[in-house]
Amino acid sequence: MEYNGGAIIAMKGKGCVAIAADRRFGIQALTLGTDFQKVFSATDKIYFGLAGLATDVQTLLSNRIPSPTPPFEFTSSRPIQSFFLKTKADICSEKFRMKVDMYHLREEREISPKTFAHMVSSTLYEKRFGGYFVFPTVAGLDANNEPYICNMDGIGCITTPNDFVVSGTAENQLYGMCESLWEPNLEPEDLFETISQALLNGVDRDAISGWGGIVHVITPEGVITRTLKGRMD
Amino acid sequence: MNGNIEHRFSPYTDNGGTTLAIAGEDFCVVAGDTRQSEGYLINSRYSPKVYHLHNNTVLATGGMHADGVALVKRIGQNLDWYVHKHDKDMSAQALAQMLSTILYSKRFFPYYVWNTLGGLDENGKGCVFSYDPVGNFEKLHWSASGSAGHLLQPFLDNQIGHKHQSNVEHHLLPLDKVLKIVKDAFNGATERDIYTGDFVEIFIITKDGVKVEKHDLKKD
Amino acid sequence: MLDFLDNPATLAGANRDPDGDMHAADFDPVGMAPTEFAHPTFSVPAIADPVAFLKHQTGVDAKNRIKIQHGTTTLAFKFNHGVIVAVDSRATGGSYIASQTVKKVIEINPYLLGTMAGGAADCSYWERELGRRCRIYELNNKERISVAAASKLLANMVYAYKGMGLSMGTMVTGWDKTGPQLYYVDSDGQRLKSDLFSVGSGSTYAYGVLDAGYKPDLTPEEAIDLGRRAIVHATFRDAYSGGYVSVYHVKENGWEFISRTDVNDLIYQYQAEEKPSLV
Repeated sequence: MEYNGGAIIAMKGKGCVAIAADRRFGIQALTLGTDFQKVFSATDKIYFGLAGLATDVQTLLSNRIPSPTPPFEFTSSRPIQSFFLKTKADICSEKFRMKVDMYHLREEREISPKTFAHMVSSTLYEKRFGGYFVFPTVAGLDANNEPYICNMDGIGCITTPNDFVVSGTAENQLYGMCESLWEPNLEPEDLFETISQALLNGVDRDAISGWGGIVHVITPEGVITRTLKGRMD
Repeated sequence: MNGNIEHRFSPYTDNGGTTLAIAGEDFCVVAGDTRQSEGYLINSRYSPKVYHLHNNTVLATGGMHADGVALVKRIGQNLDWYVHKHDKDMSAQALAQMLSTILYSKRFFPYYVWNTLGGLDENGKGCVFSYDPVGNFEKLHWSASGSAGHLLQPFLDNQIGHKHQSNVEHHLLPLDKVLKIVKDAFNGATERDIYTGDFVEIFIITKDGVKVEKHDLKKD
Repeated sequence: MLDFLDNPATLAGANRDPDGDMHAADFDPVGMAPTEFAHPTFSVPAIADPVAFLKHQTGVDAKNRIKIQHGTTTLAFKFNHGVIVAVDSRATGGSYIASQTVKKVIEINPYLLGTMAGGAADCSYWERELGRRCRIYELNNKERISVAAASKLLANMVYAYKGMGLSMGTMVTGWDKTGPQLYYVDSDGQRLKSDLFSVGSGSTYAYGVLDAGYKPDLTPEEAIDLGRRAIVHATFRDAYSGGYVSVYHVKENGWEFISRTDVNDLIYQYQAEEKPSLV
């Protein structure tokens, strides 16, 4: 994991979930890019992020080079929060989209976050002996708009806590932040603030994560996506 | 039997535990949990690793318990001798430099200890000094180290240092807020770090002396 | 026993350990060497190969690893108005950022500066010891030590511990009788003299910026800006550099502290600046 670095968090809120990731692409100490995508959408209400080896993140998730970041538009910042920029979600995942579409055609219904998580898990376990070096995080709302979050290890062992999940090289820092900032039943805007603060402060103590962040808050009404302005060192 | 057996000299063990220190305007808070463990075994639920040194400073040690005890004893002797020779207590700044030199004197056989020193500076302001095992040190306003140090440090950066809080006045927090944050921090650390728990001892240094508070932490 | 407390000059070590205990080996039987220049003593484990022990204990396979904090991008260059020194302020232990506020410029005395890269404790301890020796030189000789001599004192001190695991890459700079001086000294015992150095994991990035903008006839303002930009760009690319950029200017009457700025503010400032078009 120390080869590329990275940090991902997902949190449950009141009738909503949030998923956040840093934006760095680097090889060990060298930072090569600051707009790397490690969070993708599976459906309108399911997002998933991958921490781990960047080549496997792209192999597994996307056969398309992410297009340049759309123009930023500034939004006003509320008290006690960081500056942030707003952008439209530009997210793709060809490999899993195929599987999700096949599920949709066969079952004639939307896949649930739980089923999707198990699908990711099985995909990883198919390569139990020498697989992808990725640590997925899934966040979504099910058909009843019940929040679901989980993460898993590199061979698909799922954990589904009731509060938050973290992964990446800044794992310890993020655990410390989430454990003290998170509280139950946060409304979408409060959940956004909580996950943003956890991410930004967490990655600032990790040398190989950061260089900005991206947050998706999934609500029954739609997804709020914002990129965060973070420390660039 | 003709194979050679290699015995490596391994004098160190990690007894876990987390320590933290925060400087205030006219006070300093130093805290540490009291669990002492070795691997999955808890040796003691109450084995303090934060020491009140008699010159109105407090030293928090983390890492190997035995090395911490030996180091504190050595510092204590030096402080006593200083009083006998100079008829006054050593200042926090002088102790900070002396501790660095003591640690570096074992540069090739280090004390396996992560130290945090808290006290009041010559102007009565709170000060914190944080060390690596071989004596590199820095004067800070807040610091967390030990087994859950990585978990707590960004939290302190955020809550004490107001990092990533743009529309907030940056000032040193009052004692009651600091104590709240310390307790929150240790409860959080106890939740995730198996080497942290049982009790947290909080030392509050003011010009009137040092007060100690003890609070329960989860014992699982 | 504790007479070092009366005499702060010996506190940094000299021929005593930090408790002030004398060691038999430190007595100079012939009485030739001035004792204040004797090497400090260090505890060593009573085993066959203490060097191998320390190497193992600070290495990646050790069960109870001692991660020694490391410092990173530093630079210094001579120009017509003296020497500019610029450094970042990050200390890392593995990928964990142990501090964003390290002082990597060591103010040896009012006219000598040292920089810090490699083991933080090694740099600060030996440069403090160097400061003590420079002061003794001054008292003995009624004049300031030259930068050449000071850097050589440092190089000789650490050379005595070659192969024992010290890690130090430092630049010693100042202004003496012969003008502005700049030396590079490291823990292998290397001592080089040049007009421009950069040391640390971010040094290659700093060199890139520095070489593009360097010329001897820069104004002080231009030189300060160049040094600062070189560090800032290094902190952007190098994960193990960051925090604050500190700049010093060595002048004829000693060094002057110029600035300490959050590199993040400068990165955003530089990115917003107008750039030449690509075609």
